[in-house]
Amino acid sequence: MVKSTEKNLSNFLQIKKYKMETITIKETISKLLESILDHNNFEMHDELTAKDVDGWDSLSHMMILTKIEEAFNIKFKLRDLNKLKNMGSLVSVIQSKI
Amino acid sequence: MNLLANLQHSINNSLKNNAFCINTVLYSYEEFAQIISNIRISIKKFSDEEETNIGLITNDDIYTYASIIALWLEGKAYIPLNPEFPIDRNLTVINQANIQSILDSSDTIVFSKFNSISTINLENSEINLTPAQVSNDTLAYIFFTSGTTGTPKGVPITFGNLSGFIESQWALDYTITEEDRCLQMFELTFDLSVVSYLAPLLKGACIYTIPKDEIKYSYIYELMEDHELTYSLMVPSILHYLRPYFEEINCPSMKFSLFCGEALPLDVTEEWSKCVPNATIANVYGPTECTIYCMDYTYSRNGTNKAHNGILTIGKDMINTSTIIVDDDNNEVEIGEEGELCLSGAQLTHGYWQNEEKNKEVFFYKNHNGVETRFYRTGDLCCVDKDGDVLYLGRVDFQAKIQGFRVELSEIEFHAKSALNKLNTIALAFVNSISNTEIGLVIESKAIDTKQLLGNLNEKLPKYMIPTQIKFIESFPLNTNGKIDRKKLIKLFTD
Repeated sequence: MVKSTEKNLSNFLQIKKYKMETITIKETISKLLESILDHNNFEMHDELTAKDVDGWDSLSHMMILTKIEEAFNIKFKLRDLNKLKNMGSLVSVIQSKI
Repeated sequence: MNLLANLQHSINNSLKNNAFCINTVLYSYEEFAQIISNIRISIKKFSDEEETNIGLITNDDIYTYASIIALWLEGKAYIPLNPEFPIDRNLTVINQANIQSILDSSDTIVFSKFNSISTINLENSEINLTPAQVSNDTLAYIFFTSGTTGTPKGVPITFGNLSGFIESQWALDYTITEEDRCLQMFELTFDLSVVSYLAPLLKGACIYTIPKDEIKYSYIYELMEDHELTYSLMVPSILHYLRPYFEEINCPSMKFSLFCGEALPLDVTEEWSKCVPNATIANVYGPTECTIYCMDYTYSRNGTNKAHNGILTIGKDMINTSTIIVDDDNNEVEIGEEGELCLSGAQLTHGYWQNEEKNKEVFFYKNHNGVETRFYRTGDLCCVDKDGDVLYLGRVDFQAKIQGFRVELSEIEFHAKSALNKLNTIALAFVNSISNTEIGLVIESKAIDTKQLLGNLNEKLPKYMIPTQIKFIESFPLNTNGKIDRKKLIKLFTD
């Protein structure tokens, strides 16, 4: 009984930590996008893609990726780039690296 | 050379081979032949026999490629219409080329007001790849490029031009066989796409395309590694994107790695050569007016390579082209002196589509080796060395290359001015931190909201022509000649 509660608590904390990270990561990305693209006309959700965001094109994409790498102190592999289909996958690739 | 007969034989001899890999789906030559034949029936049924210029919606699918071949076998030309381009621009092209019918593989037809002919879900017919009679003067395609006065200008290319190109392509010895897997990275509105699908089709090789919603450079890398591509033609801007990742790239399968469309820096080429250790690397050059490309230089891995300001030489003319370098009065300049590069030969277009004014400006006749020859002024400033290799020095006008696309800066200014109620604007090309060219716009005014302006530009111009940065200045600086000092304005973006 006790063990199980501990496990539940630990799971709960794990999930909470994960959720907080996700939110912090998204907030950081959102601020970066705003500073690079000069606007905040986008809503952060997992299905958000570059197409939905004004000015996020192949030219700014490179710059956005570089800024994200700097902000999280990570380095994307070339192979990671094709996995970045939307905000949700971007966040999980970042999570796998921090 | 009988291009269409060669195409017919190549397809017939390769029925079991893969012809295309589009979005991870493989299509055999047999399937390709079937779709071509089906589309031919629809073209005959739904378009007028007299119609020669047919629009083509450029989707990334097997039907669009089959439509090109079907039109050619029917002796008709295609005019690519990118569905992502602003409708205004596409309508200008449709009107200029006098297009009545448009082949379209979209689920929902793009232009419902024209005679759109759907190329999907057609009934299977008997396979028929027998070409109609075409002459050297029959048009194969018209590509529209940026024009200075706000209207795009059409470059018509005939089967004679195209045969001239293919003949000189084969003479380069960058041999393609039916074993090869070849990259096709270009939008079908860009003429480098033509060699990227046509050369492999003529040899029974397989063509790998890039889905429109993918990031090009990283997708190219995955194709190269996962599908062991053996042949590629790319614009140098792809190299600039890939450069931070060069250490991750190792493609021993690549046999030929060609570059075209923009200046190719020597240092990046040297670094790239390690990513494709077994490939012959080449820099090819040419404007749409002279059919795809017409000059070639093979990069030397171990020897020295000629360059000017770090830009690799564009080499010598291919077998069906003659080049000269001239001064303002069309007199040939001495070896080592700079002048404008001019081209002539079998690949040269007969002239812009219904644009006599422009034709008078850029085409001229000159006695060359005893023959009265028609030349085209490229607008590229060049010089030639004692070995006959041509070095690219810059542009003589205000044209820029954005990811290989030709952009007349004045066309952007034209549309910006009309959107801004006559405020003065200057469009500039500048080189960004990763060595790619971007477009900046300077507006002679106090800072204003640019949302409306960008909205207007997006309605008129393709994405690659939209300025990525906008700056304001109260009055434009002038140089000593009293002209607007563009060099100073460029510093607004690069400093």
